[in-house]
Amino acid sequence: MSIDPITFQVLRARLSGVVQEMQFALFRTGFSTIIRESQDASCALLDPAGKVVAQHVVLPLHIGAFPACAAAVLAEYGGNFRPGDAFLINHTYQGASPHAPDFFIICPIFVGSELLGFAASMAHKGDIGGPVPGSCSAAATEIYNEGLHLPAVRYQSDYQTVRDLERIIAANSRTPEVVVGDMRGQLGSVRLGERRLQEIAAKHGLVELREYFGELLHVSEARVRAAYAQWPDGEFSAERFVDDDGINLEHSFRIHVTVRKSGDRVEFDFTGSDDQTRGAANIRPPLLRAACAYVVISLLGSDTYVNSGLLDALDLTTRPGSVVDPHFPAAVNTYNPTVHAVVDAVFDALSHLVPGRGRADGCASRSFVLSGGREPGTRKYVQYELFGGGTGARPDHDGVSGSSVNHTNGKIAPVEIVESEYPTRILRCELIEDSAGAGRYRGGLGILREYEVLEPARFSLRSTRHKIAPLGVDGGANGRIGRLTVNPGTDRERVLPSRYAELPLTPGDRFRLETPGGGGFGDPLDRDPRQVLADVLAGYVSRERAVADYGVVLREEDSGLVLDEDATRSERRQRPVDVEVTP
Amino acid sequence: MTGRFRVAVDTGGTFTDFVLLDEDSGDVSIAKILSSPADPSVSVVAGVERFLSEAPDRTIGYFCHGTTVGTNALLEEKGVRTGLLVTEGFRGIYEIMEQSRPHGPALFDLDYDKPTLLAPQRRTGEVIERVDHQGGVLVPLDEAALRTTLRGLRGEGIESIAVCLLFSYLHPAHEQRVGEIVREELPDCYVSLSSAVLPQIREYSRLSTTVINAYLQPIVQRYLTNLRQRLHTLGVTTGQAYVMQSNGGTATFGTAAEKAAATLLSGPAGGVTAGARISRLCGFDKVITFDMGGTSCDVALIEGGRPRLGHGGLIAGRQVALTSLEIDTVSAGGGTLASVDGQGVLKVGPDSAGSVPGPACYGGGGTRPTVTDANLVLGYLSDRSRLGGSLALDTAAALAALREHVADPLGLDPQDAAKGLVDVVNTQMQEAIKGISTMHGYDLRDFVLVAFGGAGPVHAAALAAELHMAGVIVPAHPGVFSALGLLMADVQHDHVRSRLDGLAEVAPADVLAVFAELAEVATAELLAEGFEPATIELDYALDIRYQGQGYEVTVPVALDSFVAGDIGVVRKAFDEEHLERFGHAALGEPAEIVSYRLTGRGLVPEVRLPEHEPTGRTLAQAEVARRPVRFGADLVDCPIYARELLDVGLTFTGPAVIDQQDTTVVVLPGQRVVVDRWLNLFLSAAGEGDQR
Repeated sequence: MSIDPITFQVLRARLSGVVQEMQFALFRTGFSTIIRESQDASCALLDPAGKVVAQHVVLPLHIGAFPACAAAVLAEYGGNFRPGDAFLINHTYQGASPHAPDFFIICPIFVGSELLGFAASMAHKGDIGGPVPGSCSAAATEIYNEGLHLPAVRYQSDYQTVRDLERIIAANSRTPEVVVGDMRGQLGSVRLGERRLQEIAAKHGLVELREYFGELLHVSEARVRAAYAQWPDGEFSAERFVDDDGINLEHSFRIHVTVRKSGDRVEFDFTGSDDQTRGAANIRPPLLRAACAYVVISLLGSDTYVNSGLLDALDLTTRPGSVVDPHFPAAVNTYNPTVHAVVDAVFDALSHLVPGRGRADGCASRSFVLSGGREPGTRKYVQYELFGGGTGARPDHDGVSGSSVNHTNGKIAPVEIVESEYPTRILRCELIEDSAGAGRYRGGLGILREYEVLEPARFSLRSTRHKIAPLGVDGGANGRIGRLTVNPGTDRERVLPSRYAELPLTPGDRFRLETPGGGGFGDPLDRDPRQVLADVLAGYVSRERAVADYGVVLREEDSGLVLDEDATRSERRQRPVDVEVTP
Repeated sequence: MTGRFRVAVDTGGTFTDFVLLDEDSGDVSIAKILSSPADPSVSVVAGVERFLSEAPDRTIGYFCHGTTVGTNALLEEKGVRTGLLVTEGFRGIYEIMEQSRPHGPALFDLDYDKPTLLAPQRRTGEVIERVDHQGGVLVPLDEAALRTTLRGLRGEGIESIAVCLLFSYLHPAHEQRVGEIVREELPDCYVSLSSAVLPQIREYSRLSTTVINAYLQPIVQRYLTNLRQRLHTLGVTTGQAYVMQSNGGTATFGTAAEKAAATLLSGPAGGVTAGARISRLCGFDKVITFDMGGTSCDVALIEGGRPRLGHGGLIAGRQVALTSLEIDTVSAGGGTLASVDGQGVLKVGPDSAGSVPGPACYGGGGTRPTVTDANLVLGYLSDRSRLGGSLALDTAAALAALREHVADPLGLDPQDAAKGLVDVVNTQMQEAIKGISTMHGYDLRDFVLVAFGGAGPVHAAALAAELHMAGVIVPAHPGVFSALGLLMADVQHDHVRSRLDGLAEVAPADVLAVFAELAEVATAELLAEGFEPATIELDYALDIRYQGQGYEVTVPVALDSFVAGDIGVVRKAFDEEHLERFGHAALGEPAEIVSYRLTGRGLVPEVRLPEHEPTGRTLAQAEVARRPVRFGADLVDCPIYARELLDVGLTFTGPAVIDQQDTTVVVLPGQRVVVDRWLNLFLSAAGEGDQR
């Protein structure tokens, strides 16, 4: 049979329609707000070998987990699948859930007695046990501290649910109804995918459909390799550091990558990365692969087909026992700071191959949890908020202020919702002046939010870049680091490290979160002085930093602040010219 | 109504469309004149003037206008210099927006930027004041400091100012006082208060909507004032002069100028409204409207005769949280371009040839193949089908473009390539239709497709057949359908007030009190717009959620249940609505009211569309040509009919191509066509097998 280009394009649109419909169904039926609000859920269709042929991209990191989780199910049950089966796995090491709260549910799809492929979904659960609500403890040192882990297990036979499984999971969660409700939502979504794919097979034929699955993977990989082939050959290394693992606060650990490009192949070699951490900062290779895929898709543009073909075009090398290939049972729950460091390092290394597509580092991501209700007479609540900050500057424009960055995309909680729902008051919500790394193009600005608790509460933080600044590029300055200050400006002032669990707060206590600004791009002395003036007038850059960082002198006139062109010229002339020092 | 004629004018990018209804005879006539983008009122007035001059005794008793003045000013960022006042300490709210990027490609886009700030930081002032979540004042308004701030902004040349203070929907007094002080300190400045524009919880969406209103209000107001004066000069003095709004209802010129942000969907709303009315007339209450033009297509879902409404949408990346029709747009139109990439993969869209250079067959310099070129090569369009034959289409140019850019790279026959191109663009539009229907739990087999716009009726039959829809309606004048909708809309204003109340705890008297306040405002507004109490309708609804959820469900409510003190009815309606929309309900979970909503409607006398009697013309008399047309894998000898010659009551079976001045209707083999008494074409569901 030959591939018809029209049918190919029609089927591609149909398959992406199916995964989109699955995704809608999941958002509609999933009970927990975390699925709907942070949209931490994805759906996919897989071929009989467990390769992803179509995925709805909501959370880019799930792309790596799908085939690895499917492989675990295939290893356990492969060859014995029957219509009506469904399976579940959330085990980071036996499958590839980024962490235990991410549940993977999959069902085989049959046409008659022939296996056509699989429908699958992955979605974050609010709580699956462990020492802290939400199952992500900053104090965890092995996955046994991170909630209930299930290997590949049967969830349905002959379309009948294995109730024992639901009961075991319910008994281990602080929010049993929500978790089981979400599991059923996921199941409904994969069953919808099963029906839709069967309808498509009825129209186009099973054998043909499988052929087109193969072609989709092939085209996806071919596109990536064709793009690689246009890059120059070469080898480049880059590294980034993560503040610490939350346990050993003295040690910033290293992510190191060497990219080796030759012809239509690129190898991503992470063997130079540090040893695995004691704290919950490790990531497994499937997640590492997804992080690399995220960068490659960003560089290649929106024409990329996101499926396993793309993943197959990434050659990864890791060192067992390292932070990106840890030995079981190393803890993994707070993986995002590490993934951000991987993404930034890979961007850095690849920017040497893809001219004009570099960018400075951004703010990464962070979250805090404020929980209360332990004292008698107070209401139980869990306030969970997500934050970005400034993104890195680009070769021809500034970074974005107050934004999510890289693979993460959380919404900020509205002040009016927070104050209406929780015994918390927000005192300030601002962008931070001078937080952006200076440059010909500057970074985006970080966010400041300051809170006062009105009832006794406990505060946990999962952040990063409180020690290690977002790097500038090409002479651009670093972005300012983030900071969490408890009771700022009082004699009880205290700065917390970037990972912290369960700090007790009493009514009237305040805490101020400042998130990092993005790094700058290019020499700040090359920035258009009028742009610097505009930044000062907007409150993005102070007058002092305008002189110090940009060599731009402003003066007050009746009409307001204006550019002093002569003074700026002489100020900039006095600056030492950067001399490249070769070691 | 004092005049005999109703006139509707819809401003589009290329043409300004006119629909004229003679209330006495029921006759409808249409006209199109070139738009005047620099000042759209020039074309509006020219068309009205021409119409009035055609007969001396013509009087206009009803005038309605769909305008893109506000929309274009926003898209092109040509609003006025706008300032912003926020609560002290919260100047980050506007620029941070929601912090997240849009879903999908934006996550991978290295060039991603937020939309520019319509009120930039240097024109943003902080107001010392603070209200808490129960409406209590934590920090009183510091008027002296505000005056100092405003004097500091004097040099900025601000023409319009938005005021958005925290929790102002609970305590509007601070914003109102700020408004008074602004008028004293900056007397020429327009003011938009968030507590007046959208008194609704969630500060960013309220702020963004208010800033957009401030940014557009002077522009829309100047435009409408000018238009009204010029219409007056022509003797058009009717009080029934309206502007279409995003909610599918109209507003008087005066009200529309105040609520500029509510006119952003004024253009496409007319088509959806017409779709709802026409289908109701024809006995259908489940409808998808399908408006396909040169660069994009708009689809909307109508159920029970009413279009779906939403309370938050993005326009050019900016949030507008006013009640609006839910219209989904995909970039698939006649000008959509096709190409083949290095891996031999056919790509259709999203790029478009636009009107310049346009499709290859237009002879305007375009050399790349478009959907229109493919339609021409397949025989769906004839070389005389553009603008009633006044502009010839170049089939050879279309073939050459298809051959070079699609057929040869793929090793296909050019006609197969054309068929493939149309199949792919149809698939994209089908997925868009599924996105607003099946993906929300609707069954498309119950829906008819109402097709309009220049390209809609060419593709509608194939879409409906593939989606197993109940049929297709092609209205009599598909090219001016949006304008027709303007004649049929009632005046409608949506009011909202956020206030969190536990559903189990709230006193029915308190609910009634909030609704009574809203009703007072709504009624006063409609009375001022000239409506008698008997023609005013008020509908009540509550936004309810399970406690802790991040979204609400709007549930229509009857005041009687509160008068009777029975809130259980409301709870039941909410659980049912939640079950319907989300597949589950949480019967035991506490629920809370987030917002109170009221829709005020001023009913305008209903339009009676002209009904026609059969003239006895036969089908054969309507056949103007025959030519080979591609259906499925075959070239079929196909009759070509002239739409204006198709008689009322005629019934026939496809294949057929029906030409009319502003579009072409393609009928699949085996599909039944009925011409109804309003001269709509109804195309049945059943085609022969699955021949696309």
